[in-house]
Amino acid sequence: MNESTLILTLFAAIGLGTPLVFGTIGEIITERAGNLNLGVQGMMLVGAVAGFWATYNTESLLLGVIIAMIAGSLFSVIHAFASVTLRVSQIVSGLALTIFGTGLSSFLGEAGSEPLVGEPSKATFEPILEGGLADIPVIGPLIFGHDILVYISWLTVAAASFYLFRTRMGLSLRAVGEDPASAESAGVNVSRVRYIHIMIGGALSGIAGAYYSLALVPTWQNEPIGAAGWIAIALVILASWRPWRALFAAYLFGAAERVQFTLQTMGEPWSNVPSSLLAMLPFILAIIAMIVLTSGKRARFLGAPAALGLPYFREQR
Amino acid sequence: MTTRRFIVEPRGLASARLTLAVPLIAVLLALVVGAVFLAVTGNNPWDVYVKMADTSFGSSRGISETLISATPLILTGVAAAVAFKMLVWNIGAEGQFLMGAVFAAGLGIALGDGTPSALAIPLVIIAGAIGGAFWASISAVPKVYLGTNEIITTLMLNFIALNFMNYLIFGSSSPWRDPLVPQFPSGRPIPESARIPEFFNRLDYGFIIAALLAVLAWFLISKTKWGFEVRVVGDSADTARYAGISVPRKFLGVFLMSGAFAGLAGSLYVAGPVGALDPRSLDLGLGFTGIIVAALARLNPVAVIPVAILMGALNNAGPALQSIQIPAATVTMLQGAILIFAVAGEFFIANRVRKPEKKPAGAPAAEGAGAA
Repeated sequence: MNESTLILTLFAAIGLGTPLVFGTIGEIITERAGNLNLGVQGMMLVGAVAGFWATYNTESLLLGVIIAMIAGSLFSVIHAFASVTLRVSQIVSGLALTIFGTGLSSFLGEAGSEPLVGEPSKATFEPILEGGLADIPVIGPLIFGHDILVYISWLTVAAASFYLFRTRMGLSLRAVGEDPASAESAGVNVSRVRYIHIMIGGALSGIAGAYYSLALVPTWQNEPIGAAGWIAIALVILASWRPWRALFAAYLFGAAERVQFTLQTMGEPWSNVPSSLLAMLPFILAIIAMIVLTSGKRARFLGAPAALGLPYFREQR
Repeated sequence: MTTRRFIVEPRGLASARLTLAVPLIAVLLALVVGAVFLAVTGNNPWDVYVKMADTSFGSSRGISETLISATPLILTGVAAAVAFKMLVWNIGAEGQFLMGAVFAAGLGIALGDGTPSALAIPLVIIAGAIGGAFWASISAVPKVYLGTNEIITTLMLNFIALNFMNYLIFGSSSPWRDPLVPQFPSGRPIPESARIPEFFNRLDYGFIIAALLAVLAWFLISKTKWGFEVRVVGDSADTARYAGISVPRKFLGVFLMSGAFAGLAGSLYVAGPVGALDPRSLDLGLGFTGIIVAALARLNPVAVIPVAILMGALNNAGPALQSIQIPAATVTMLQGAILIFAVAGEFFIANRVRKPEKKPAGAPAAEGAGAA
């Protein structure tokens, strides 16, 4: 592998990792409030179809992204209502959100007299910040020339880190995730905090979905996001619930996805490796990392919110 | 959320009528949600539902196809039900199903035409159980001995199994691949001697076997000492430890049993209607649908049977919808909505909701109030 292939691979890894960054940051924020939402895949798909539909009808990428965020956020309210208000199993409720979202997204893409399926997007994200500083060796071509959502994802990571660890609201939300009863004694409304942060997670998953349908694969097809929602959930643990680590974990998985294309371009014997085997790579990576990093007492040490996954019964304190 | 517009009280033991009514109401509400989306996209929901019912139950062929679709769902449903009941979060029935299919097809092909059916069929079915349990063990062993989160590992293994099956058929010239049609990758047919015989149109005895296995699972969980201990672990791991029950061993046992049932779904499917390791017939999300089946059956392995028939009917109707320009995804949407309402319904089974003081009953708390 020569230097330019490496840079091309890393550059592409950043693009492929970007939806994972949005999805993982969203799930980190949700889980920090003590709620496990396995509906990421469903929220991403709803965001993907909503964003594509909005851009298709308005030719505006900005509106596409905004509608995707709103759709993901509203969709996540189903999980919030079931798991926070009704206090049913967060795991089953999240899975329900994923299955419903998967069906709904494909249904909306195919239904009606003029279905979206097979239609190219009316607008796609273009590279920005090309030329000039991009000539700096190695770093330049990696950092510059992405589309604007890549830069927004970096701002999102910085904002999430600041919000979680440097603001009063972030403190409240972490308190709710660690010890909801104490948080409530201190005057925090546990249900409201969980609702808000489930919805923020939904909005970020919505952007992640739109990144697929408007940037990575800008033609509508059923389930354009692959398994990104599931990978984002694994990345939360690998990033030990910290936004900056999520950024690099997401790019690592972006690179693992990219490897199959890179090998195709490298000629024999590399191009002979079957793509179905290479497609396993991100998932094998996730399992090995899970076993190595999170086993036993280390999971707590890594920073898993203590009340993660547990419903909060205010009456039974 | 915090103001007390309703009073919620734990109900204790819910009546049988209520536990039957809530899942039925969940299905009805899901049909209403589906109708809204169908109407918004310019379709007549009634016509769509009539078409679905007619496809799946309107003829003897329709009924047999529905039961064929239900067969794997009975077993993936049992797989989810036994696991979730013990709080083993096995989300990997999908992958265990596929590995069951890989093992079963592999053994069937290896045995060849010469093996008598009385031997070949049981061996092929058991191979599926072993394949499923093996695939579950990759998550179960690290979970039990290292504490690795099984939700993530079972999920990831679904995608590894799917890609492995695709590799066997599309990416290599493995023994699973049909050598007679090299230009069109497909699964090598397993020999007739290893195929489960049909008895009602295309319906084979796999349906009967699946139903009997569901009853067996119910018996194991409800009527044996092992099942009793497993239920104690599911209710409270601490109580189980005080009672001298080995929690890790029970956990491992349930996890592998769950995987074996999902694997059996795979072997009955390839030794029954599919007849080969055919990715196009196997990659249908039957493992995930099993979770819906289990939830709607309220984790009761016997109740799984009728619920699986309902979900099988929906799956069976999907392709027919495309002939009237309705997306097949309508079915997934309906199934997802059913799961959402079934999950929400658990709240109304566990709790009584009423208005504070002497306001009239029948609070607008939707399904639960109506069912009570």
